[in-house]
This record gives sequence, structure tokens and C-alpha cells, in this order.
Amino acid sequence: MTAPVLRAGDALPEWSLPLTPTTIVSTAIATRDWQDVHHDRDVAQAAGSKDIFMNILTSNGLVERYVVDSLGPDTELRGIAIRLGAPAYPYDTLTFRGEVTGVEDGVATIAIVGSVSLGDHVTGTVRVVAP
Amino acid sequence: MNHPMSQPTEVETGRHERIMAEAERIEALGEASESIAPYPVNQATIGTWLDAMGYDNQRFRSGEAPPSMAQVWTMPGLGRKRPPEDPLSRMTEVLTGEGYTAVLGTNCEQTYERYLRVGEQPRVTSALDSVVGPKRTAMGEGYFVTSRNTWYVDHPDGSSEVVATMLFRVLKFIPKEAHGG
Repeated sequence: MTAPVLRAGDALPEWSLPLTPTTIVSTAIATRDWQDVHHDRDVAQAAGSKDIFMNILTSNGLVERYVVDSLGPDTELRGIAIRLGAPAYPYDTLTFRGEVTGVEDGVATIAIVGSVSLGDHVTGTVRVVAP
Repeated sequence: MNHPMSQPTEVETGRHERIMAEAERIEALGEASESIAPYPVNQATIGTWLDAMGYDNQRFRSGEAPPSMAQVWTMPGLGRKRPPEDPLSRMTEVLTGEGYTAVLGTNCEQTYERYLRVGEQPRVTSALDSVVGPKRTAMGEGYFVTSRNTWYVDHPDGSSEVVATMLFRVLKFIPKEAHGG
């Protein structure tokens, strides 16, 4: 597969991921994050949360997946910078949107937003080696 | 300061001075703690991560690790703790002791120098990068604490290679309920 040339303004295809308890728990454990609020609803609710919620390492992992799946499997990441917002709970849907904001010195910057029903769960930029 | 605040009381000024003095002391320690990945980068852990993410990519079934997994390798693991000298833990303890009991991750900025490979066993160092506050936020009054992690791979010739870095920011705050509304 030949990677497309990236230009500022190019939009990445939108991607939606329905979230289940299994999504939240399996990704927390797969990222070796054993904090109880990511797998134990009783503990999460006692701490004032509506439910268990997605951990940050998973938000990062899904941002990686979104950009690489959109741009091609050989896409080389240089960095992910994210700001965290609304929690991602089970039974919500996490929808990613992205756009190339610039290409400089061989590195393209992609602005991404991952939103849930409560608002933006994650916003930020991903830097990739421009094909 | 984003919002006008009333003049701080002597108690508040004393508290702020204690917090910033501790911040300065801990920042000056630099890369004060270090931990090595409990298990080397391995295909089974990568495969489990790909399955959980619903992600498939041949390159990560052939010896390379997804870059955003850098932090995964040095997570302490169930029943294990970070080193007691960890600067972020030290600073958050100081703030907890001053009444800023709640914590929320706000920013995470990772850079990747190269992808890790199966068999490598990275280590990570941790430093306190900055402490900024007090700030009035939607969550309540708090301090933004930023730590800096650096992942290294050590080579047989004695050299150390930086493979990834991360700036991680948390808000340590007094929950609004604690103020009575």
C-alpha cells in the first residue's frame, strides 16, 4: 500500500468505537494499569464516578490506532500529545476525528479529537513522519 | 492567574510558600527515581494489547512494539509500587498534606525516538518538571504538577539510548464539595 501524501487540511476518516465494560477492563489490563477505578465499578462509584472509566494509556493507544489505521500500517509515529477531558464510560461511544494541520521538515502534524456523549474525551496532536 | 482572587490570607501564603519550596527542592533532584521494566518487551504482551485495542498491524506481530506502549513496559504491575523516591509521588503527597487531596490527569505528551523491539528491557527515570498554582479550575482550586519521564535502553557497550519521553501533568485540587458547594 502506498501511503498518501499528506497536506494541511486533509481530513482523516471518522472512526467510532462503541465502549463496553469489556473494552474498558481489557484495555486497562492490557496496558498493565491495575488501578481499581478502571475495572471495579463499586470502587469507581464509591469514588464519585458514574462507572469504571477508560485509563490514559488506552486513550493514547486508541489515538495511535486511529492515526495509523487512517494513514497506513507503516505510518511512523514521532509523538502523541493529548489533553484529557470528559471520562469515557462503558455504553458510550468514542468517536475520533482528525485533520492534518501542517507538514514541516518531513513531519506531519495531525490534530485529533476523540469525543463521547459528555464532550471531548481527548484532544491533541499526533506527529508522524510524512510519507 | 485566570480569575481574580481575593487577597490571600497569611495561612494561604504560608501554604503556597511551603508547596513551592518543596517543588523547588524536588525539581532540583532531577531524574531522582528509576525503575526497570519488570518483564522485557515481549510478543505475548504486545499481542494482548493489540487484541484489547482491536488493532491489527503486521509490523507489531513481527518484533516491533507499538510506540504508545512505551509506558506499558515500565508500569509497576499489580501489587508492585513505584519507588518511594518517585518525584511525582513525592510532590502529590506534599499537596495532599496541604489539603489538595483530589487528583486528575490533564495532559500527556509523549515523544518517540524509535520503536522498542522484542527482547529489550527499558528503564524509565522520573523527574519533577514544574509545579504551577494555585489556579481556580472547574474542578476546584489546585496546582498543576508536571513530571518528566525518560525511557532508556542500555546497551552491552555501556551506552544508554533514549527511546521515548513523556511530560505528564496532573491537577491536584481541593474538590469543590470540600468548600461546602
